[in-house]
Amino acid sequence: MHEGAIAQSVVEVLRDIKNQNQLLSITSATLKVGAISGVMIDALEFAFEAIKKEEDFIKDAKLNIINVSVKAKCNICDKIYEFDNTDDLVMMCPICQMPLSIISGKELEIIDVEGE
Amino acid sequence: MKRIVVEKKILEKNDDIANKIRDLLDKNRIFGLNVMSSPGAGKTTLIERIVEYLKPQYKLAAIDGDLDTQRDAQRIAALGIEAIQINTSGTCHLDSSMLQKAINNISLDLDLLIVENVGNLVCPASFYLGTHKNAVLISTPEGDDKVKKYPTMFNVADVVLINKMDIVKFVNFDVEKVENEIKEINPNAIIFKISALNNDGLSGFLNWIESNIQLIKNS
Repeated sequence: MHEGAIAQSVVEVLRDIKNQNQLLSITSATLKVGAISGVMIDALEFAFEAIKKEEDFIKDAKLNIINVSVKAKCNICDKIYEFDNTDDLVMMCPICQMPLSIISGKELEIIDVEGE
Repeated sequence: MKRIVVEKKILEKNDDIANKIRDLLDKNRIFGLNVMSSPGAGKTTLIERIVEYLKPQYKLAAIDGDLDTQRDAQRIAALGIEAIQINTSGTCHLDSSMLQKAINNISLDLDLLIVENVGNLVCPASFYLGTHKNAVLISTPEGDDKVKKYPTMFNVADVVLINKMDIVKFVNFDVEKVENEIKEINPNAIIFKISALNNDGLSGFLNWIESNIQLIKNS
């Protein structure tokens, strides 16, 4: 359960954004969380709800979390494979028998913020 | 109401410190190895073997992360190298700021710095520490279903060590299935089958460490 530490990092990034943009409060933030980022979205939301009670500037903030699936590309044939379920991950091109390069699925990012 | 497009990494501060650690290791030509596994998979025993084998030729230090006690660092220090314990007081992983504080307290006249992460197959995988390579252990009594249950951990591994091979016949563990699942999740990972306790099957892994030490020394 490291989502507490991740949620705390989200709050710190939001605090920097608030200060840099002279906002008084943040009302929503959109996050991208990759399927193999190692972060469970429900646990992150739960931890954020707990922390936001302690921090005035995010007390009404909502998180919109975009779950990013794993996509990987074969560097030989350029085919892109998408895995909706992490149980099905196979990081090998079935045609070329070469390891795939991950192009998405590890994201842990804040992409936009609304505030006033 | 103001909308701001930011595109910021949530763990940016962790990564910034980790990048500083990487610079420090590179500047001092130190190979940094992060060892991760579930609790009881054999990290400390493996590190004891690494120290016994490499100490005659190389300068080593270890940093051990645990929720509590000095036990792991004491075991490593008993072999005659510098070992520092980080007590995370409940935190389930090491982050780069904890590691940075520990590194500030060791001599950097080293060839190899071993970081023993907190025993946990989930959380440590999310926190980049600045070390060069990740070694992940899975031990046979844990069961052969772990690789696909914890894809993030096995995906970040450079080396996977299947430990406790000496008791494989007494536990329900299909070695071939585990090897195949590791290759599916991470075709680039090097797999070694070992018994750290009995000092079996370790030569390949020890050679891998030595070649990394030499690569960084000569970089």
